[in-house]
Amino acid sequence: MIQTVNLQKLFSTEEVETTALNGINMEVRDGEFVAIMGPSGCGKSTLLNILGLLDNPSEGEYNFYGTAVARMTERQRAQLRKGSIGFVFQSFNLIDELTVYENVELPLLYLKTPADERKKRVEETLERMSIMHRRNHFPQQLSGGQQQRTAIARAVVAKPKLILADEPTGNLDSKNGEEVMKLLGELNDEGTTIIMVTHSPYDAGFAHRIVNLFDGKVVTENFHV
Amino acid sequence: MIRNYLKIAVRSLLKHKLYSSINVFGLALGMACSLLIGLWVRDELSYDRFWPDAERICYVRVNFTNPNDPSADIGTNFVTPGPLQEAIAKDIPEVAATLKLDYGPEYLIKVGDKTAKEQGHFATDDFFGVFNLPVIAGNPAAALKQPNQIVITRKVAEKFFPNGEALGQKLQLNNDKYYVVGAVVEDVPHNSTLQFGWLVNWNVQAQDWMKTWGNSSFRTYVRLKPNTTLAQAEAAMSSIYPRHAGKNFETGRPTLQSITDLHLYSEYKNGKSVGGRIEYVRVFGLVALFILLIACVNFMNLATARSATRAKEVGVRKVVGALRSSLAGQFLSESMLTSLLAITLSLGLVWLALPSFNAVSGTTLTLDLTDPILWLIVLGLAIITGVLSGSYPAFFLSSLQPIKILKGRFQVGAGPALFRRVLVVFQFSLSVFLIVGMLAVGKQMDYLRSKHLGLDRENVLYWPIEGFSDTKQYEAFQREVVRLPSVGSATTAGSLPIDVRGSSGDLRWPGKDPRQDHQVFAMFVGSDFARTMNIKMVDGRDFQTSSPADSSNYVINEATARMMNMNNPVGKEVQFWMGKGRIVGVMKDFHMQSLHETIKPLILCFNYLNTSYLLVKTRPGQTQQAIADLEKLSKAYNPNYPFNFHFLDEEYEKLYRAEQQVDTLINYFGVLAILISCLGLFGLAAFTAEQRNKEIGVRKVLGASVGSIVTLLSKDFLKLVLIALVLAAPLAWWTLTKWLDSFAYKTDLSWWIFGMAGGLALLIAFLTVSYQSIKAALTNPVTSLRSE
Ligand SMILES: Nc1ncnc2c1ncn2[C@@H]1O[C@H](COP(=O)(O)OP(=O)(O)OP(=O)(O)O)[C@@H](O)[C@H]1O
Ligand SMILES: [Mg+2]
Repeated sequence: MIQTVNLQKLFSTEEVETTALNGINMEVRDGEFVAIMGPSGCGKSTLLNILGLLDNPSEGEYNFYGTAVARMTERQRAQLRKGSIGFVFQSFNLIDELTVYENVELPLLYLKTPADERKKRVEETLERMSIMHRRNHFPQQLSGGQQQRTAIARAVVAKPKLILADEPTGNLDSKNGEEVMKLLGELNDEGTTIIMVTHSPYDAGFAHRIVNLFDGKVVTENFHV
Repeated sequence: MIRNYLKIAVRSLLKHKLYSSINVFGLALGMACSLLIGLWVRDELSYDRFWPDAERICYVRVNFTNPNDPSADIGTNFVTPGPLQEAIAKDIPEVAATLKLDYGPEYLIKVGDKTAKEQGHFATDDFFGVFNLPVIAGNPAAALKQPNQIVITRKVAEKFFPNGEALGQKLQLNNDKYYVVGAVVEDVPHNSTLQFGWLVNWNVQAQDWMKTWGNSSFRTYVRLKPNTTLAQAEAAMSSIYPRHAGKNFETGRPTLQSITDLHLYSEYKNGKSVGGRIEYVRVFGLVALFILLIACVNFMNLATARSATRAKEVGVRKVVGALRSSLAGQFLSESMLTSLLAITLSLGLVWLALPSFNAVSGTTLTLDLTDPILWLIVLGLAIITGVLSGSYPAFFLSSLQPIKILKGRFQVGAGPALFRRVLVVFQFSLSVFLIVGMLAVGKQMDYLRSKHLGLDRENVLYWPIEGFSDTKQYEAFQREVVRLPSVGSATTAGSLPIDVRGSSGDLRWPGKDPRQDHQVFAMFVGSDFARTMNIKMVDGRDFQTSSPADSSNYVINEATARMMNMNNPVGKEVQFWMGKGRIVGVMKDFHMQSLHETIKPLILCFNYLNTSYLLVKTRPGQTQQAIADLEKLSKAYNPNYPFNFHFLDEEYEKLYRAEQQVDTLINYFGVLAILISCLGLFGLAAFTAEQRNKEIGVRKVLGASVGSIVTLLSKDFLKLVLIALVLAAPLAWWTLTKWLDSFAYKTDLSWWIFGMAGGLALLIAFLTVSYQSIKAALTNPVTSLRSE
């Protein structure tokens, strides 16, 4: 379970101070599928980054599966992140110099998974995402949907407890978007907790719960049944 | 993991071919330079270290203080008087063995009808007690003690006795006496300051003058007993001069130098070693480091320039679980891979360049791939370069925070751009420094070549007087030489007048303070010396054969007149090697040694028999004719000896061989440094143009001219080169002033040297950058804008 108490995030540049998050209290239970929505600039990505241990809040508490992480160093966060969180981005963020297979293999390499185990897991995951036939292609040789499926494969290959997705369908047409959402839904059905930022009410429909943000605050939470 | 790193490294090398080849080739060039210099430095440092117990073998010099003015600088003689070695052997228990050598003449060796010139020494009995060479045949220590035996080296033995046993065979030395080969020893390695092909006992050539304390002509070596320090032995030797040398020389103090320092630290000032060739070793060591740094800077620069692209990869890797340390490891293994590629290439380059390098630097370096030390150097170099050049991406890029990057609007901030500028400034400072060095060293070399010495060195031929059976025959020969229509005049001299060696404290004159040692350079000459060398006589005349009294008369230079405090020396009586005699002439001061030295007092004695060179001034335009005539004459008188003439101005050039080598090498390395710098600048300019592609497109759409865009893109780089110029100039000025200070006569560092260095650096930088700028400026804006 993850839980935040009065989470705040301030960005100060030379000219302006922006309050991106202004007292966020939220809780996500294991196995939940949560969608975060809100207008552009309201702090969705900022929140997701903090939840994903990529960034620290300026203020407030964050309990990540029983560990207080709000004031951890980048190094400690990196250690904790490893293997326990998978990320999916709007812009895929695959490494251009690596093939599909190698991109997916990467998290396992950093986890020092033994080679035979690694091979098995990567192949399983590629199969599952139906991109096995593209395993030796480089990202530029793939369609957007295939790239995003590769990114999802990379996010799940280490079997993380939590998957964070920031507008995973933002760069995809509706058919490919639909496929990606189905995959996320299936993963959630198998027990993975998912938090997803989206602008699309249709995509949000795959989630159990929608958190609406406005100006750095939670305004409403809608529950699906 | 490593495999994954390497995979990426190889792919990114292949993907960015321009950058990769600039990186690899630039690094390889830099490494090749460093390797070459490294090989050379290693060779220089290895001199005389191969002798068993080398650190206990010492070369003996003698320090003299001025008794009337103890604060005056101590003078140091690098050659010693004959009796010193015997006195040390007798009095100094700290010494295990002593050795005295002559200067090492080149003599003709004859076996049957095979002849060749070989350099060798007349050496005292205990040569092998000091220098222990492996024995090939016979008993060298015993053989050297025999007046009728000769010890030869393997090379000489193989040359004259190709099919086997040299031992017991006879050979004729210098067309004179026959010797029996008593022993054959191993060749002396090239990195020995002592070189010889044969050794004969000292006493065979000993003469009375060699037994006086006033003539310093010999080299003395000692081997210390174990556990004796140089200082202890020197202290023990301090009583030798007062005890043995007599009143005139009682301030003499032998001073010891370990033979391992002889090659590199042979310059003495005020009684102490102040360096010598080691300066060049240091300078080139620095140059090697500079060039390597310049090459590394290229690597780092291109890495920072590409950091925007690499940053995304860093972010992604961090998000999927990479720790900073593993990213640092990745970048380091990438730079290590490049560095290994480069070093392999550089080994090839060194292999190609080595013959010309050897020719230029007068060395015999080899690239011995079976030498483990070489591999240590090579691997060391690869690792240092890899770490140095990979350090920026490894430590900066790996520290980037993933969210900042993955937002997709990652901008490489001012930090790396500033760092890059600093590196370019650093790089061009070094280049400007080297260009200034090139120009200044070249200017001094020109000065040395063109300086009027006060004597003529053009159209002067000389060759060693040798092989004549008696004086009469020789005199007849000389008379015929002078009669040749192609010859202007001829004389003989004990040493070459541009490089007078022997000095003496034996000169006496009325009013001399007997307690003070006055060293005067002395030389035996024949008649017409000043006329042949075109030395101006201030007063009096040359020696003349027609004047029999001249055999005990003297000719001096102005410096000697000043030393003796005589206003009109001609006609005054002095006493020197030829006994009491009169001064018959005063020569205008001429440069009788390299221009490192000031003009010293000189006295000439008139005696054919002690001269060793015949110097001939040819008539203008008839040098070729003269050579032909002289050869015919020489063959007629002296059929056994090849007519082996040299030009005096060539010999003059040889005085500056070290400087000449520095001049050539600094030219090569300077050009290379600039080449490598430009390679980097080229890459950087390409990158900038690429990065500002869109900006250029927009500007062009808005109506910017090609010229204004080229200016825009080049301006920044040129500014950096200017800053480099300002930084490098004072440093170069300081260093070169120090170098020039080693010459007693020198040019100045004119402002134009700095102006020209700056202009050159700017021009080269501009040409390098403008290629990329113009290319970028000419691109159709549609292409660059569409890709966005
Ligand atoms: N590194 C930063 N420095 C300064 N301000 C920032 C930074 N990152 C985000 N912000 C500001 O914080 C606010 C929230 O940004 P965030 O990226 O979280 O919005 P978002 O809800 O994800 O918007 P979108 O739907 O457009 O992606 C914005 O006003 C943004 O300008
Ligand atoms: Mg966002």
